[in-house]
Amino acid sequence: MKATAAPLDATLTVDASRRADGLATAGPRGRKPLTWKKRSTPWVYMAPAMFVLLLMTVAPAIFIFYSAFRNDKILGGVGKFVGLDNFITAVTNASVQHAFLITFGFVAVAVILEMILGFALALPLAAQTRANKVGAALMLLPFAVTPAVAAMVFKQLLNPNYGWLGYYLGVFGFPKGVDLLGDPTSAWIVLVILDMWQWTPFIALILMAGLQSLPGEPREAAMVDGATPWQMFRHITFPAMVPFIAIAAVLRTIQAFKTFDSFKILTGGGPGESTEIINLGIFRVGLQSFNVGLACALGVVFLIILSLLIPFMLRIIGRRADPEEM
Amino acid sequence: MTTTSSTSRGGTVARVIIGRTFLWAWLLVGLVPLLFMFITSIKPAGIANQIPPAWIFQPTLDNYASVLSAGGGKSESFGQLLTNSAIVSLGATALAIVVGVPAAYALTMRDFRARKGLSSWILSTYMFPPIVAVIPVFVFAGKLGLMDTYPALIIPYAAFNLPIVVWILRSSILQLPYEIQEAAMVDGASTGNVLRRIIWPLLVPSVATAAVLTIVLSWNEFLFALSLTRSGAKTAPVGLQQFTGMYGTDWGNITAAATLIVAPILVLMVVLRRQMVAGLTFGAVK
Repeated sequence: MKATAAPLDATLTVDASRRADGLATAGPRGRKPLTWKKRSTPWVYMAPAMFVLLLMTVAPAIFIFYSAFRNDKILGGVGKFVGLDNFITAVTNASVQHAFLITFGFVAVAVILEMILGFALALPLAAQTRANKVGAALMLLPFAVTPAVAAMVFKQLLNPNYGWLGYYLGVFGFPKGVDLLGDPTSAWIVLVILDMWQWTPFIALILMAGLQSLPGEPREAAMVDGATPWQMFRHITFPAMVPFIAIAAVLRTIQAFKTFDSFKILTGGGPGESTEIINLGIFRVGLQSFNVGLACALGVVFLIILSLLIPFMLRIIGRRADPEEM
Repeated sequence: MTTTSSTSRGGTVARVIIGRTFLWAWLLVGLVPLLFMFITSIKPAGIANQIPPAWIFQPTLDNYASVLSAGGGKSESFGQLLTNSAIVSLGATALAIVVGVPAAYALTMRDFRARKGLSSWILSTYMFPPIVAVIPVFVFAGKLGLMDTYPALIIPYAAFNLPIVVWILRSSILQLPYEIQEAAMVDGASTGNVLRRIIWPLLVPSVATAAVLTIVLSWNEFLFALSLTRSGAKTAPVGLQQFTGMYGTDWGNITAAATLIVAPILVLMVVLRRQMVAGLTFGAVK
């Protein structure tokens, strides 16, 4: 390896001291302190990534915390400090409360249904047969579809005049020309079904990988002892699957809170405001009505709520994904 | 193996059959929207939204030709939008990899005491909702004159994919035997040389996985593209929405455009199925 004399010297000193003390990291008293260069190297390597991440997460967070206390409009020039007004509006406004409520409702219903169905699909899919290889590939197809495209295609399938769904339901005697997106309840059901169509495969594939990684011995031992299939599932398969279920649930919950495309395209929040989840609400208030202050106040509240998921993210995903912890 | 071994018991046969029936019913019903999209896209003009749906017709590529040529008297053809999508996705991927590889390496350095905390911080930014970032980015992009330009999308997309990229690469580096690095350092290699000559060649497969994931997720993005572009950098998923106005909802054209958006992603995802799922779980599921 080519290296100039000076850095070579520096690295050698550090390495010699490290070797003398075994592989432990530097730190305890009495050891030669790391050179400044050595200490700053990782920060130099981190800097570009940290800059990009700070620019797109921490900086926007600071901006919304600042703007939430002001009444700036994007087009109307500079506003002024208005104290907690935006937060008071955010908390007391009935349509905002509705938006938060239906966001939670949507996330809860979609994630729970997707988890149950995903598990039901993963069980037969985990058997490593040739047919299942095809099955797993087919399973992924809806998941691979661009969400905005999926919503557009669903919208056409549901078109009251020309849609396939209406026509073929009509063939089986259902009323024709029903606009499923025109009624709050059926619009909700459609949005949940679209979400399930796209995301259940993701959960099924995670749980399938989990099932395939389980050791066979406990099941075989239980079978020899005469356990029923339900007992085996209840006491062996399910407990071993808990970490995978947790991973799928946490990831899916975080993603579900970010849902935007399908609502925007399929219903646009309508009919009325019946499907205006908070993501759509912030978009409308901030980028269509240009009420930046209120949108930022909503963003602050939403960000705080989502931050509550960080510990689960770190414990369930982070620890398991980290080779240092295993 | 897990399922087949239990078929020896009488009662479980029914259970297995029910399970498999459900699985294949789900798979087939799930294909209907894709089937609708593709079949409509190859129907000749005039019968695309005919009711009852036509099943026997002369397939044609007319819709694709009409979508890709600059149509409707508007400034940009759908081909241009697909090009924009590709530029933005590849740009975001390049940026994410260029800043992500050194960061991932730093996070595996044993002398780096902040590595645990920083790894956790990077992972937790995955929670950050894009809707919260879009308004500040909209305001700043406006002030910096970056509205409707490629960087206005490339930087956010790279940032939102960095948690996945860094975690995939970090875990791959940690799985390499540390002795290789150590041996090189004893021989006097600098950290930069270790990264370039020792780690990078071994890291290429993981970089490929991270890159494909970033391409796919950037290609699919809608919120930022909708908010920050007008015409110059407009991406294909946003352009698709305007087909209804531009062409008076020509079902043939809109489904052809939809197929063009989806097809490349579908191929990548199906080929790299396992890596995609592993990557999207940050490597928590192999």
